[in-house]
Amino acid sequence: METLIAPASGKKLLLDYTMPSQVVMFGNLAVSVEDVIPDLPEIAFSTNLCLEELITNTIQYGLGNVPDHAIRICISRSADYLEIVVKDDAPPFDPFNVVPTPNIHADLEEREIGGLGVHLVRSLMDEVWATYDGTGNLITLKKTLAQ
Amino acid sequence: MSFKFHLDTHAGVQHLTLTGRLDSATFVNLEKTIHGLFNSAGDRVLIDLSALSYISSAGLRLMVVAAKRARQVGGQLILCGLSPTVRTVFEISGFLKIMATTETKAEAERALQT
Repeated sequence: METLIAPASGKKLLLDYTMPSQVVMFGNLAVSVEDVIPDLPEIAFSTNLCLEELITNTIQYGLGNVPDHAIRICISRSADYLEIVVKDDAPPFDPFNVVPTPNIHADLEEREIGGLGVHLVRSLMDEVWATYDGTGNLITLKKTLAQ
Repeated sequence: MSFKFHLDTHAGVQHLTLTGRLDSATFVNLEKTIHGLFNSAGDRVLIDLSALSYISSAGLRLMVVAAKRARQVGGQLILCGLSPTVRTVFEISGFLKIMATTETKAEAERALQT
């Protein structure tokens, strides 16, 4: 199967993982992410959080909670950054253009109960974008690594 | 990689201790307990997060629900023991401005006794 991340010199593919469209599978995914970047526990936490937020959106809104779709996750690493790509087979959906930004400065009474997922992804990653390749959505996240 | 919680009462303060991963699969186990924490004015609750290894927006929603319930009934809520990563998630979410937190459980207990 073709890799989701274009090969480049100095960039190494660490993980190519496929999970079913079920939220109960995030615990297993998290262990796999932690295993491939054991030297970066805080970035593993952020990566798992972003993957969960984006894939939960896909499962709930893109796939209507149908549990037998496959979602593929690839992670590669270079000296400068970690690159994370998520591929689904849902209809076109760009969470970074569609989901409204929550008001995180609102008082408790005015705070919305939800709506934080995409805000967390934008805040924890350095670059985020989504494209549709004709068969599904490709979401790419980049996290700069401290030198 | 599971999630557990424990609720008990010490000196009139409810202690809710969360352990493991609070995510979009496990938050449903905690929902009912969160909704039942605050029932009348003066209710005091401490949520101990020191053994919480992971929280996503599904778990964060429950923290907002707890804080709103506390405000509605005139109760007191303090969250304690946030790990650096959990604290970062709370900060990004703007929660440190709308929820009381302490570093240690002892500090939370003292604050709720006064």
